[in-house]
Amino acid sequence: MSVTTLGWLVLLTPLAGSVLIGLTFKALPQRVHGALGTAAIGLAFVFAVLMFFGLQDRGEEERQLVSVAWDYANTVGVDAQLAILIDPLSVLMCLVVTGVSTLIHLYSFSYMGGDRGYTRFFAYLNFFVFSMLLLVLAANFFLLIVGWAFVGAASYMLISFWYRRTTATAAGIKAFVINVAGDVGLVLGAYFIFQGTNSLDFLTSFERVGEAFTENQTELVAGCILLLVGAFAKSAQVPFHTWLPDAMEGPTPVSSLIHAATMVTAGVYLIARLHPLFEHAPDAAMVGSIIGCATLLIAATIGLVVTDLKRVIAYSTMSQIGYMIMAVSSAVYAAGMFHLMTHAFFKALLFMAAGSVISAMGGNQDLDRMSGFRKVMPFTFACMVIGGLALSGIPPFSGFFSKDEILAYMIDRGGVYLVMAILGYVGALMTAFYTFRMIFRAFFGKMSPEAEELSHGHLYHAPEPTNPANGEVEDTEVGFPGPEHHIAERAGGMKIAMGGLAVLAIVGGFVQIPGVTSALHDFLHPTFHDSELFEEIHPSHTAEWIGLAIGALIGAAGIFAAWTIYGKGGNAASFQARLKPVHTFFVNKWFFDEAIDFLIVRPAAWMGRFANSTFERLFVNGALVGGSSGAIRALSAAVRSIQSGYLRYYAALLLIGFSGLGAYFLISA
Amino acid sequence: MTIHLSILVFFPALMGLVSAFSPRSLAPKILLVGTLIPLAYTIYMITDFDAGAGLQYVTDDAWITELGIRYKLGIDGLNLWLIALTCVVAFASAVWLSVRTPERAGLFCFHFALGQTAVLGAFVAQDLALFVLFFDLMLVPFYFIVGQWGSGDRAAAALKMVIYTLVGSLLMLAAAVATAVLSNPGGELSFVLTDLQANLLSESQQKWLFVAFALAFLIKMPAFPFQGWMPDAYRSMPLPALAFFSGVVSKVAAYGFLKLVLPLFPAATNDWNVILLILAVISILYGSIQAFTQTNARLILGYSSIAQLGFITLGIFAIDASGQGAQGALLQSINHGLVVAPLFFVVALLAERAEGSEDIRDYGGIAFRAPVLAALFLIVALATLAMPGSANFAGEFLILLGAFSSVQALAFLASIGVILASVYALRMYIRSMHNRVGPKVTSFEMTLRDGLVLVPLVLAIIAFALYPQLALDAGEATVRSTVEAVLR
Repeated sequence: MSVTTLGWLVLLTPLAGSVLIGLTFKALPQRVHGALGTAAIGLAFVFAVLMFFGLQDRGEEERQLVSVAWDYANTVGVDAQLAILIDPLSVLMCLVVTGVSTLIHLYSFSYMGGDRGYTRFFAYLNFFVFSMLLLVLAANFFLLIVGWAFVGAASYMLISFWYRRTTATAAGIKAFVINVAGDVGLVLGAYFIFQGTNSLDFLTSFERVGEAFTENQTELVAGCILLLVGAFAKSAQVPFHTWLPDAMEGPTPVSSLIHAATMVTAGVYLIARLHPLFEHAPDAAMVGSIIGCATLLIAATIGLVVTDLKRVIAYSTMSQIGYMIMAVSSAVYAAGMFHLMTHAFFKALLFMAAGSVISAMGGNQDLDRMSGFRKVMPFTFACMVIGGLALSGIPPFSGFFSKDEILAYMIDRGGVYLVMAILGYVGALMTAFYTFRMIFRAFFGKMSPEAEELSHGHLYHAPEPTNPANGEVEDTEVGFPGPEHHIAERAGGMKIAMGGLAVLAIVGGFVQIPGVTSALHDFLHPTFHDSELFEEIHPSHTAEWIGLAIGALIGAAGIFAAWTIYGKGGNAASFQARLKPVHTFFVNKWFFDEAIDFLIVRPAAWMGRFANSTFERLFVNGALVGGSSGAIRALSAAVRSIQSGYLRYYAALLLIGFSGLGAYFLISA
Repeated sequence: MTIHLSILVFFPALMGLVSAFSPRSLAPKILLVGTLIPLAYTIYMITDFDAGAGLQYVTDDAWITELGIRYKLGIDGLNLWLIALTCVVAFASAVWLSVRTPERAGLFCFHFALGQTAVLGAFVAQDLALFVLFFDLMLVPFYFIVGQWGSGDRAAAALKMVIYTLVGSLLMLAAAVATAVLSNPGGELSFVLTDLQANLLSESQQKWLFVAFALAFLIKMPAFPFQGWMPDAYRSMPLPALAFFSGVVSKVAAYGFLKLVLPLFPAATNDWNVILLILAVISILYGSIQAFTQTNARLILGYSSIAQLGFITLGIFAIDASGQGAQGALLQSINHGLVVAPLFFVVALLAERAEGSEDIRDYGGIAFRAPVLAALFLIVALATLAMPGSANFAGEFLILLGAFSSVQALAFLASIGVILASVYALRMYIRSMHNRVGPKVTSFEMTLRDGLVLVPLVLAIIAFALYPQLALDAGEATVRSTVEAVLR
């Protein structure tokens, strides 16, 4: 099979799975749908692997292939086609997406077991994978935007999966609307590029960008910044991030797949994909670096104080994507993509472990109530620690190699990038701290009642589950985890998936060890062959190792700090009291939600009310209609008096009008 | 010279006439036949259409020789797909009427069929007087449908609608006569569009005639600030008729701009287009903001239509060098009709599940026992908000691109409307399908017969989403020449 055929197969298998599950939702039993969904993604992964080998068989210059299915909107100078681009970057993304998705489908096969919406879940999840693959395989702006919006829609459907929870539907629409704002940014950005290059096709517009725009030309910078808006919205970067913590309303496998491993990294992919544009507009790229750096710090500070288990990991995701955005915007492409890959492994693992704890807690996610799960859930504990060490950048776990490689490259680029790298190390300290704060609180200490119950061999069930956010009684009819839902870490599917990811989280970093191998960098070379910076920024191995060592020390320091405060004998409360103002500021998440509410949501709602109650009533119905309807009333009274119906009145008017005006013009002619 | 277009146009009315005298159970079936034949015709014409050959299937007969009015019909790239849209939506409404037969079904079907004939006539007319005649004829059946079958204060609603549109119609009538007379002083009087186009008026004459035509079309759409008749009429009109009215009748106005105003008044278009563009952008923003504050499901759709028609107007008057705006507007006219019609049917189905209420505050949690309905509704709702991947997005993309290259600032403003669309469309979906079960809701799955109406429309939306190119090819040449004529 040719590489392009394989590319289409990778794309279409998950779609076929989704459609098949959707159409047979009544005909087949639930478990079959779970198996079908998992098998479809597994098959897509096999195709992706074959595609990888097919691509590697080709010469270095022939590793960028475009395959066109049909013209989509090829008209009046616009060249939108249904076309995919297969090159090392998209193949890497396909491998990560399908690989991690397969494991998460396997996990969901067990985890969602007792859920009434099981079939719907797999249909959505397969659709999500299709959308994500469409996004990464798209060969032009148009199709990219389609994939971009599809993942947004899939994310919306899965956030609102338990749709009787008003908190879930509210989180869903919030995520969707912010993402649509990002889509609009992408569209407008694409217009700027199109205006100069006259093509929506990636490779064509990359070729032309040098002639079409001078370096840092205003139009190009504006276009790239608008594209960045799309990237920020999807990747939860400041100030478009507020939807991501709320998105934790979705089932845990969704958080793991969409809101950690794959979708939220789309912005990173976008910048890497469009690197020729950003390298030609360094001012715009600088915006990306700065926002990425700001996000990694802001998210880490919030992560320090959040008490919801999944939200800690969500803020950590935001922060880690901040590193990646900062990296690819600073032309540190290979390291950025490397971190994207390892992050997918260990962050998906962390979410899965969290899901296991949450199910043991009867659906409760509050860290304040968790403790002592270490002994009763040893497997989950091990996974959480592996994920946590990888996230904190402790050798030889995967995050150690990838995150610190980013920072080493940033230092090598020097100048302002050096400052950002130092801030990155500050972020790394906080990362290690909040990660192990979470682990120490949930797994160490005295056993909570739920852990106690688990040690007796059965699971805790809330007598009447309520939504902690608003006190609403949970509606288990649509499948909010009911009594039969909880399986803790016992199920085989979950164990295989978590085990697989744990192994990847440990060894995933070995593809790129300074002085030993640079497999990923070499693999990606054909995509970045046109980038001077790709080769130019290259610290010496010694410098890289020094960077790695600093990173490891900082990670260890963070873990030690977490131990002294939250571990044995620590006194978290007095520490918190001493830093009260800062703590309040962080707990309120830097007041971003409030600011957006005040600046955008309320004015819009106010305008709507004004338009409806005042404008429409007074102006449209009052002045415009009032005047004319007054005249009509008088007229119709006159018409009624000669016993005429409305039709005759209408016909008469028509006739008089027609003949009168007709006569006038005919006479004058 | 062929008779095909005459059959296409008048067959519905003929069947309507037959159904008027048929028993209640039979009338909708006759209407169904009356809509099916034109549908078959358009499908054939789409396969047969030659995008490069200009006007096709021309019927050209003398009619009122003294006044230079000819019975001239024809198909070109502009109207082909709009005719298809008309036939598809009319057919869906006819199926709906067969499933849920109204009181005095014979008369209802007659009015409905007359409406279809009028719309088809307006689309195929190649003579200005003929267009005006059909355009005015559209009003009559819907006036009766609102007046006799409407709900609430139907008399007032019907009157308001008639008054508003009549003002526009009469202005247009006068302007049409004036155009013909002025364009050919001394010579043979002719209303045929190609003749009028060959003898364009002076700029000052075009200027005021443009205003008359534009007013008529803006009222019909409706566009801001001429929407005063819309809320009452939408609240009152029976839903199967409203689906056709909102989906198709408003498109005659958009078509009128492309077919009549731009070619006949190119100089005036250049003078006035800034005003039209500003009205378009206000329509987009105002309609969207209204749509997410309304609680009546029909009005949400009504105001969303104002916003969508605003996009279409924006595209038409963008007048960018390659005609992207106008091309997008043409595509979007088809798309909007195709999504808004099923939404009205969905509203009818929702009302059946909430004791007849059309207030979304009474809805909630309907998805649980109606997953198929929920899925179909979701697809249509996403298409309505111009989700990328839908043909609506292709349309909006072209419209905004056109506006972007000619009036960049307005394109930015209009794109706010894209974000707002996601708010009102999802708000309506979530409030009805999701959240806690509403106070009046007893949910149940849609029946197979309801599926006969909704599923084909949704399939059409999906098919169009996969391959909008088909419609784009048909229109490209005509759209380009129209816009180029204005730019010259």
